[in-house]
Amino acid sequence: MRPGMTLSLTVLALGLAAPAPAEDLKIGLATAQTGALAPYDQPSLAGFQMRVDEINAAGGIAGKYPIKLIAKDTRSDAAQTALVAQELVDEGVQIVITPCDADPSIAAGMVTQAAGIPAFSFCATTPTLPLAVGDYMFGNYPADNVQAAMLAEYAIGQGYKTAYILTSPDTAYTLKLPKYFGEAFTAKGGTLLGEGTYAMGQQDFSAEVTKIAAMNPKPDVIMTAAYEPDFPALMRQLRGAGVTTPVLGSDGIDSPTTFAMGGLVEGVVFSTAGFATEGSPLAAFNAKYKAKTGEEPNTVYIANGYDLGTVIDAAVTKAGSLDPKAIRDAIASLTDVQGVTGAISYAGTKGMPLRSVALVRITGGKRELVKQGVPAPADVPAP
Amino acid sequence: MDIFLQQLLNALSLGGTYALLALGLAVVFSIIGLINFAHGELMTTAGYVMAFALAAALPFPLAIILAVAAPVLLAVVMERVAFRPVRGASGTTLLLTSFAVSAILRVLFQNFISARPVPVPMPAALSGVINIGPLHLGIIQSISIATTALMLAGLTLFLNRTVAGRAMRAAAEDFAIVRLMGLRANGVVATAFAISGLLAGVAGLLWVAQRGSVDPLMGFLPVLKAFIAAIIGGLGSLTGAVAGGFLLGFIEVMLQAWLPEAWLPYRDAVAIMLVIAVLLFRPQGLLARKTVLKL
Amino acid sequence: MTSPAPLLDVSGLTVSYGAVEAVRGIDLTVAKGEIVTLLGANGAGKSSTLNALVGLAPRRARRLAFSGQDIAHLPTEMIVRGGMTLVPEGRRIFPTLTVAEHLLLGGAKHAGRGPLAETRAEMLALFPILNERLDQKAGSLSGGEQQMLSIARALMSSPDILLLDEPSLGLAPQIVDRIFALVSDLRSRGLTILLVEQNVALALEIADRGYVLVNGRIEISGSAADLMASAEIRDAYLGA
Ligand SMILES: Nc1ncnc2c1ncn2[C@@H]1O[C@H](COP(=O)(O)OP(=O)(O)O)[C@@H](O)[C@H]1O
Ligand SMILES: [Mg+2]
Repeated sequence: MRPGMTLSLTVLALGLAAPAPAEDLKIGLATAQTGALAPYDQPSLAGFQMRVDEINAAGGIAGKYPIKLIAKDTRSDAAQTALVAQELVDEGVQIVITPCDADPSIAAGMVTQAAGIPAFSFCATTPTLPLAVGDYMFGNYPADNVQAAMLAEYAIGQGYKTAYILTSPDTAYTLKLPKYFGEAFTAKGGTLLGEGTYAMGQQDFSAEVTKIAAMNPKPDVIMTAAYEPDFPALMRQLRGAGVTTPVLGSDGIDSPTTFAMGGLVEGVVFSTAGFATEGSPLAAFNAKYKAKTGEEPNTVYIANGYDLGTVIDAAVTKAGSLDPKAIRDAIASLTDVQGVTGAISYAGTKGMPLRSVALVRITGGKRELVKQGVPAPADVPAP
Repeated sequence: MDIFLQQLLNALSLGGTYALLALGLAVVFSIIGLINFAHGELMTTAGYVMAFALAAALPFPLAIILAVAAPVLLAVVMERVAFRPVRGASGTTLLLTSFAVSAILRVLFQNFISARPVPVPMPAALSGVINIGPLHLGIIQSISIATTALMLAGLTLFLNRTVAGRAMRAAAEDFAIVRLMGLRANGVVATAFAISGLLAGVAGLLWVAQRGSVDPLMGFLPVLKAFIAAIIGGLGSLTGAVAGGFLLGFIEVMLQAWLPEAWLPYRDAVAIMLVIAVLLFRPQGLLARKTVLKL
Repeated sequence: MTSPAPLLDVSGLTVSYGAVEAVRGIDLTVAKGEIVTLLGANGAGKSSTLNALVGLAPRRARRLAFSGQDIAHLPTEMIVRGGMTLVPEGRRIFPTLTVAEHLLLGGAKHAGRGPLAETRAEMLALFPILNERLDQKAGSLSGGEQQMLSIARALMSSPDILLLDEPSLGLAPQIVDRIFALVSDLRSRGLTILLVEQNVALALEIADRGYVLVNGRIEISGSAADLMASAEIRDAYLGA
């Protein structure tokens, strides 16, 4: 009994002594701590948490709104994500963060849209996500069509005339990104020779690879949005069948596994959210992250999560209040917020941010910057 | 023709891995009537041990030995701790127990290792190609076929030439009577689990060699395939499991190869329909064993 | 009494499968060298009794002793290694294993190759038909051959007492005669036998003593000759 009593007395004393408590900005995290999306949501959250800690250490947003995070595990399940979003809304959060995938984000978005609470997906890239949910839904990562436009522009610049795309109907990302690439590539005068498919997670590409090897004429380039475990298996089997055609990929393969594959991925070019050139803000962030956690930031999702903190900081500052509607309107009007991965704008977009895409070439197991920037809006295929 | 031969090789390689996995399920099921869904986590264990052994710069052969030994050990421990207490319980109880074991292991992997994939850097020598006339065979693909052949031959020898192996075959037909031979029931069951662990370990390494990484959920899909293969073959029949594995691999590869492009997204649905068609003609699977009344 | 302790000494044996009580506290003894038969209608609890003795059915007993040793808590494999085994009802051979493999597994308790080969040679002399079928799958044998194999498999463990559960079930009369001749022969070689049999006349002919089970209880017991003469037995089993 005694320790408890002392404790409550202390709390009472502190409560009396402390100044009037600041108003908290409550952000609900309906993201995956376990399951298939955890590999993406977890690093995003690590970066986000780091930014939130910095903001709180500086006295909160605009010096008056400390951020309070409420995290609930969605177990990578869409129905669970909607359930968790509802719980968070009931707890009175002003902003909700949803997982790195369109499906659970849409499920959660149905709840937040109805409640008039702005929501961000950590790193879903499907450009139709905000369209499917409504004006309170935002993305936080370069959209599929934006990445595809950059890759197509690069392919044409390399002199590739023909391409083959490999899609999987299992997610919007693996299906649509290569299709956007095909659109942008043909719009710029390239020819699509065909489309192969694969089932995610099965990692058997042998039949598909045999078909590609037998193609006549051969494509100049193969583009896919496959990621782990499919992408490494594809590369192994493709090169194992003697097919040396260049391969283009997307941000899903920006992971340690890819870089551990040695010669198999030599020369692969992929799009991603940022590149740490020397002296860049991203390089500074990476150094800061390593100093703080002792670990290399081995995926750009960490920096991307960090930037979401900056975006929210900018929006709430601009709104000047914690009213969800005011925050939503502020987000939609943001221009050139300086994140560590580059400038981020929402003004004039349909919920997906306009932000820079980096093209990276894998050379000797290291990343080499090919190009960084925002594609011309006219080159971006419509969602 | 060349393409067909090439696809046949592809089917052989994929089917072989399915066969090893289905066999691992069947070995245990045939004896104690348990479909061990934690079989996938045995594969994952092999993957993690391989990843850590390579990260610790152990020699490659030693890494392989450890990576195969770990799931063998884990399978035996699993039997002792989780399945022995419910031995002889209803099929549902056994199934739920194996779901629980599988879920617990996945959570342990996530919390104590990482939710994210851990790279398993395979030696560069394994990414070459062997050309046989017009056919291309990736080194890993060849190793996969050779390993499957070796494992099947080894297991056949074990089952047909040793007392322990014959006891396992007998136990698959009539477990109670094996005990009447003075053979220890626990020994036979433990042997079955050890063999299933060995099969899972080898299949897990072949699986990981293709994908280059291991994550907590890695085992789910292959064990599902193995389950389908075992059903096609006739649950509990070892030969059936092997046949089912090869048939499933053959169906998947050939559909991927020859289905029209517009149909490809439905490949798995078509494959499952073919499997159901097989079961319509042979409801007990290809090589069902006769059910034996137990005491 | 000055007679030596019986080889098998059972009292208060109860077998229940959940709510079903198949055997309800029976007492039973078998002395060394005896043939004792256990009679009773279908479902009386005969198989349950034999299975319980070797630990294959759930059992409770006040006393369950074999060769003076308490076996109430031993698992089947230890009971068999100790010298008591069962030829189960319905033969229960392993269809896909060969005859030779049955003999090998049956003799699994023998430590060295020597004793195993010796016992095997003995069995093949006793059952010449099996010698001709060594590499054949047991599932392809005739019913009589399967019964011989089932007995041979049990004998491979060199038991002191053999429990036989309806060895004549479903077999042609000549084969039944051969099997009963064999049982007598085995006893003359010193084996003790507890025999469950539907063919009461045949059983009482070779047995020394018998028990009659009714609904899991022993209702009558006595020498084979007395049972043969008993009016009840005559009415129930031997026809008018
Ligand atoms: N494994 C079992 N589970 C439940 N009941 C059983 C089982 N085996 C036998 N019984 C029941 O026990 C009773 C005795 O059966 P059993 O011992 O086989 O008789 P018998 O061999 O004299 O024909 C019967 O009512 C039978 O239905
Ligand atoms: Mg009976």
